[in-house]
Order: sequence, then C-alpha cells, then structure tokens
Amino acid sequence: MPSMRADEAATLTDQLQTSLTEAIEGHEGVTRRAVLGGLAMAGGSALAGVGAADEDHGESEHGHFGATGAYDGSRFDPFGYLREFNTGAESGSRAAIGGRSDGLNAGVYEEDGRTVREFDVTAIDLDLEILPGITMPLWTYNGQVPGPTLRAEEGDLIRVNFVNGSRKHAHTIHPHLRNLNPRMDGIPQNGPGVLDPGESFTYEWIAQPAGTHLYHCHSLPLKAHIHRGLYGVIVVDPDPERVRENPREYLDYHGPITEAVRERAVRAAKSRNMISYPDFVPEGYDGIDEQVMVMNGFDTNFDGSNEVYAANTRGFCYAPAESDGKGDWESGPTRHPIQVDRADLVRIHLVQATEFDFVNSFHTHSQFFDYYDAGTSLFPNRSTIDTVLLCQAQRGVLEMDYRDHEPGLYMFHAHQSEFAELGWMSFFEVS
Amino acid sequence: MAGETSDRSDTFARPFGLPKWVIAVLPILLLAVLVGGFLVTSPLAGLASGGEPLPAVSIDYTTIPTGDQIRLHVTNNGPPVTIAQVQVDEAIWNFDITSPGRDAHLARGESATITIPYHWTPGWDYHISILTAGGVSFGTTIVAAQQTPAMTAQVIWTLGYVGFLVGVIPVALGMLWFPYLQSMRREHLHAVLAFSAGILGFLVFDAGFEAFEVAESVPSTYLGPLLVVLGILGAMLLLQAAMESRTGDEPSPLALAYAAALGIGLHNFAEGLAIGSAFALGRASLGAFLVVGFMIHNVTEGPVLVAPLAEGERPSLGHFVAIGALAGAPAIVGGWIGNLTQSPTLAALFLAIGVGALLQVVFDIGALVHRRGSIQRVPNLLAFGVGLVVMYATDLLIVL
Repeated sequence: MPSMRADEAATLTDQLQTSLTEAIEGHEGVTRRAVLGGLAMAGGSALAGVGAADEDHGESEHGHFGATGAYDGSRFDPFGYLREFNTGAESGSRAAIGGRSDGLNAGVYEEDGRTVREFDVTAIDLDLEILPGITMPLWTYNGQVPGPTLRAEEGDLIRVNFVNGSRKHAHTIHPHLRNLNPRMDGIPQNGPGVLDPGESFTYEWIAQPAGTHLYHCHSLPLKAHIHRGLYGVIVVDPDPERVRENPREYLDYHGPITEAVRERAVRAAKSRNMISYPDFVPEGYDGIDEQVMVMNGFDTNFDGSNEVYAANTRGFCYAPAESDGKGDWESGPTRHPIQVDRADLVRIHLVQATEFDFVNSFHTHSQFFDYYDAGTSLFPNRSTIDTVLLCQAQRGVLEMDYRDHEPGLYMFHAHQSEFAELGWMSFFEVS
Repeated sequence: MAGETSDRSDTFARPFGLPKWVIAVLPILLLAVLVGGFLVTSPLAGLASGGEPLPAVSIDYTTIPTGDQIRLHVTNNGPPVTIAQVQVDEAIWNFDITSPGRDAHLARGESATITIPYHWTPGWDYHISILTAGGVSFGTTIVAAQQTPAMTAQVIWTLGYVGFLVGVIPVALGMLWFPYLQSMRREHLHAVLAFSAGILGFLVFDAGFEAFEVAESVPSTYLGPLLVVLGILGAMLLLQAAMESRTGDEPSPLALAYAAALGIGLHNFAEGLAIGSAFALGRASLGAFLVVGFMIHNVTEGPVLVAPLAEGERPSLGHFVAIGALAGAPAIVGGWIGNLTQSPTLAALFLAIGVGALLQVVFDIGALVHRRGSIQRVPNLLAFGVGLVVMYATDLLIVL
C-alpha cells in the first residue's frame, strides 16, 4: 500500500481539510443569530404553553418535549441523505451534503467480467449539528454522518479509494459483507491495518450477500470511532436471475420451491433491485419509496451515555418544528415530517449504529410492517409487526404502505421512550 | 538644622523634581503600559496548549411559579456560552430564556432565567439539565417539587405574622428582664453580660458555618467564601468605626445596646430569610413546634439587648422600643425577601454581615466587662459557657 512520508501526509491532510472545508457552505458553526432565531420560534411556543394557563385558550399546559430552535449548518442534509443511493455512477451533486459535489462516485466499469463500482471516500474531522444549536466534533466519511450510502448489485466489485484526511486519528473501513479476502477486512490486525492521517488504501469487496449492510471504522478505541460518526450503509441489490436459479439461498423458507414460490422470489428481487430494474413496480403500487435510516446517538459530555438520539444524526429533524400539543403543528425549513405518497411501497433500510446502549428499536404508529433481517431474505422473517428491536450493527429492511390510511401525520420512533424524547422521534406525512 | 529640614521637605515635596501627583500615578501608568504590552505581545503563546477555558454554568436555584412552569436561575461563571437545549428527566424540552442580553448567549458573569413549560407533579423529583452549544451539560435536581408561593397578601401576612412571633415577641419578652437586671449587683450583672456574650458568640459560629455552607452554592464567579469573609470583616469594621466616631474611647451603654440590636437584628434577618425561602421552596412545615423553637431561641436575645443599660440611668422608653424593633423586626423583612428570592449570594452576604455585627458586639461586651471588673472571673466565664450551652440547646429546636 502507498505509505507516505510524514510531511507529505501532513500536506495532503491539510489539502483535504481545506478543500472539504471550502466545499462546505455556511461554515459558521453555531451562530448567535441562529440561536436567536430559534429562540424566537421556541419562545413563541413556550409562551403559548404558558399563556394557556393564564388565558385558558385550551392549548396544552404541559409544554412539550422536542428541540428548541432550528438547525443552522448546511453541511449535512438528513432529507437529502434519506433517499440518496450512490452506485458509483458519476453524479454532479449529492443531496446528503447539501447538493455539493465531492467526487464520491468515481465511476462504473467492467473489469475481468465483473462490474466495478468505484468510490472515493475520505475520512475527515468535522463539527456537525446534532440538535438545533448543538454541534459536536465528529469523525466523518466524506463530511457526513452517517457516511454516504453505497449501492451495488450482487456480485459487483466495490472499490473504495480510502484516504484518511483526519488530522490526528488512524481510521479504517470495515464492511459487514461476505468478504473473502482478509486483507480487505479493514481491521488493525489485517492487510494495511489502521491508516494513519494522510495514508490511503484501496479496499475491494465483492457485493454479497444481497441485503442491507453496514460499514464502519474498526480503529481502536472502537467505541469512540463508531460513536463519533464513522459508519454508513451499503445496499446490495439481489440479482433476479441468480434468485431464479437458486431461490433457496434468498429465502428464509423451508417449504417446497414451487414455480409460484420461485416467481414470487424473482419478483421480490426485481422490486429490491434499484440498479437493473429501476422501473419495476410491485403490483398495486405506483412506485417504491426507498429510504435509509441509521439509528444513532451522541454523547456530548463524555459521561458514557447519549445526550441525543436520532434517526440520521439530527434529533427531531423528521418531526414538526412546532406543535401546540393540541393537534396543530407546523413544518420548519430544517425540521419537518418525511413526505410519503399513499400509492408508494415504503421500504426502509434500517441500521442500528447506536453506541453505549445495548439496543435500539423502531416502532410505527397505526402501521404494521414486514421485516427482513439484514435484508438477506426476500420473504419477510417477520410479518405484520409494529416494533422491531435491533442490537448494534443489526439492520434490516422494513416494508409498509399507507394505501388504506387517511392522509396526515404518522409517527415512528424508538420505543425506548428515553431515546424518543432525546431526539429519535420522527413522522411521515402521508398524502 | 532648620535649613536642612526645609531642604529635605523640599525633596519630599518634589521627588525627582516631579510634582507629587505624577509620582502617585506613575506606578499605575507603568502597570497599564505593562498590561497593554502583555496583551499585545501575548508572551504566553508558547504555553498555549490549544486548551480553552471550560464552560462553567451554575444553576443557582430553582423556582416553581405555577403548576405548569419550572424556572431555573443560572449564572455563567466561565467563558461566554450559549444555552442551546434543556432536558427534563432525560427528555429534550422546550424552554424560554431571559437574560440581560435578551438571548441564550451568556457573557462571563451574566445571569439568566430559564422558564420551562412543564406539568410537574407535586412531591416528585425532577432532574434538569441544560446543554450548551458545545454539548456540555449542567444539571440540578428538584427534590419533591412544590410550588413556590407567590407574594400574595396572604403570604405577606403569614410571613409577617411568623416573623413577628419568632422575632419581635421573644425579644420584647426578653427585654422585660430589664427591671430585674437593674436590681442586680454589679458582679451578677457582669455575669449576665458574659452570658449575653456567650449567646452572641454561639450565634457567630451558628451563622458563620451557615454562611460558609450557603457560600458553596454561590455562583463561583462571586467567590462565595471570600464574599462571606468580606461581609464578616466589613460589617465588623463598619460597626466598630461607627461606634468609635459616636462615642470616642469607651462606647456608651446605649450605643452598645444599639450595636447589639443591630447584630441581633441582622441575625434575625438571616433567620427570616431562611424561613422565607423554606416557605418558598414549599418546605413550610413551619409547624407550631418550629415557631415555638424560634421563640425560645430568640427570647434569650432580649436580656442581651438591655443588659448593657442596667447600670446607670435608664434611657427613655422610646429607646427600648427602637432597640427591640431593630433586633426583632428584621425577621419579618427577612421572611419576605427570602420568599421573593432564594439567591444564595444574598443569603450568604446577609448571614456574613450578621456574623460581623455579632462579633463586634461580643468584643464590645467583653471589653465592657473587662474594664469594669474582670472577664476572667469564674462566674463570668461560667456564664459565658452557659450562654453557649443555652444557645446550643435551643438551636436543637429549630433545625430547618
């Protein structure tokens, strides 16, 4: 692997830091203005709550949990991240980092009869907002937490040109894939081991098995490297033809493989395959709405427990910015529910990356979903549940639809109430 | 010789040939230049480790004004900081903040009030944290939440009544010993004065310890313990200076009585503060027992006030009323103020001033007895000790 001299490493680190920082707009961190603006809004709601007691407007007297104020930084956009899948195909801008371009997608090409999807990933230290007005120094892949979502088709080669642009810390990328080459495991004891600041390495992984997977830094101390933000999602789309040939490999199912079972599995594979079957729509739907949600938490004060929990880093970002507790709510520019179309199949790639707590969970209001653990089965492992419990690194695919529901707000959140009240509280706005 | 003297005084009049005032301000000017130079050149840059001063926000006290509000009174004792979010029992909660700067950004030493709309339940504990923009948290626990009584006419009357009972009544009763004291022989009277000094001496420690205890809750930016030291010594010196300027060498008995009344008054004021803030914190289990305890405790203060007057001519009745009011009535005012604010800074300061005044009176009584007899006579020493013991015993009745 290319190992650089210390001064070259320092120069590279500086360049990376500078170029990324320049690429990042609104490099203001938390400003007084933002806090002021936020407070103006929150003050209003607080007064509404207080005023209710005096003026008996019938509004909630209880106050309400939820963050005060609006998000300021534009470095990371959880709404852009939600539906961004990077296949390696060149794209000018990425929604997850506010529409900026960072060269993540480095090309798709054939090599030795295999499709190669190449990505340029850089580890970089960055302050990101985790609650309105609260920033935390994070360690990121390409300036975002969670890191960019990579998507490949089963059997593709994922080639990641990784550069450690951190100023101080050694990092790696460890994939939760069936990786057959120990040198590519991204751990201190194998291959290049940890990569010091300025060092780089090209990881190559075969995209298998089909499903939703996790990648993360495996440097020590592990808790710090994961909790500070070095994790992301890899989605591997199943190949319908392979499914047709070996359906058993893709099914948590022990009955006879009839033609109907085989066809159902193939249809499910096509539905899951966004790369080769982008226009495939399951019967009864207008489309598929795929979303990525990483459940994470942040310990801001070094007490070994999280002060903030979230789906996709920003606490309460998928919740109304304002609510009077009496059924009226308002969206804000940085905090609003996720728009969902009733006619779509909603598919959530859910990943559990919370440190310090043993488990996290996902609970839907007024809704039951099918759950595919790690997404490796094309038939649900559990059907018709409204809560699923995940340990660290556990992930799954959730499928649900709102065809029969009336339009409106539908909540989903961790059913650890503490996590919900500390930020992991979200909504779909169905229309 | 005369010439020499005048030469020297000329030298002193114009040192280095400069006007006196120039010499007087020269060191200050040099200091200013040095400080300016130090700030401009920052010679300590070599020591900089990249560390920044750590945020230090104190939650000084909490109030619960209504059934739907919790209020935090906070002070920023560290570098400028922004209060970004608030947690109640590990839930991010909305809040409103009022500060002199009208925002959540607190400069060093700036105080703010954070109001949290919250439907709390009486008797429950609440853990509240404030989070700065950097994610640092500062917490407090409200134990067994009770609503803070507002200053209604009812509360004013109740606190006034309690203050009258524990402050004015016992002092007045104690002063009724005056005719008896007048009839006493001088040695016995000295013993009574020594007894008074014992009483006050005990109060010095009683209030002194409390002052330092409260000082620990004072925002660190005000240097609580040193504030208490300043309060004690300052009050003592002020009172001493006042008495010196009024009476010359030997304090008149009347001045001494007034000084004692002031000291006891300040002490009773602090007692009033404690009662008022206990009331405000919803700990107003000021049952009959506690009120009786305070009365017995304070009735011993009466003879202290009048003992210095027992020798010689009896002052006019107006003086007695004034002395009694000065010693007793502050308990009422203290109750009201204590109910309005639970500021530990204020409480520590008043306690300290009271201690200083008491100390001064103890020394004065000691000096008085010493001049007219001897403080070291066995009956006097015993009486002093008895004063301490009586105060300890009655203190047991009023542990809040």
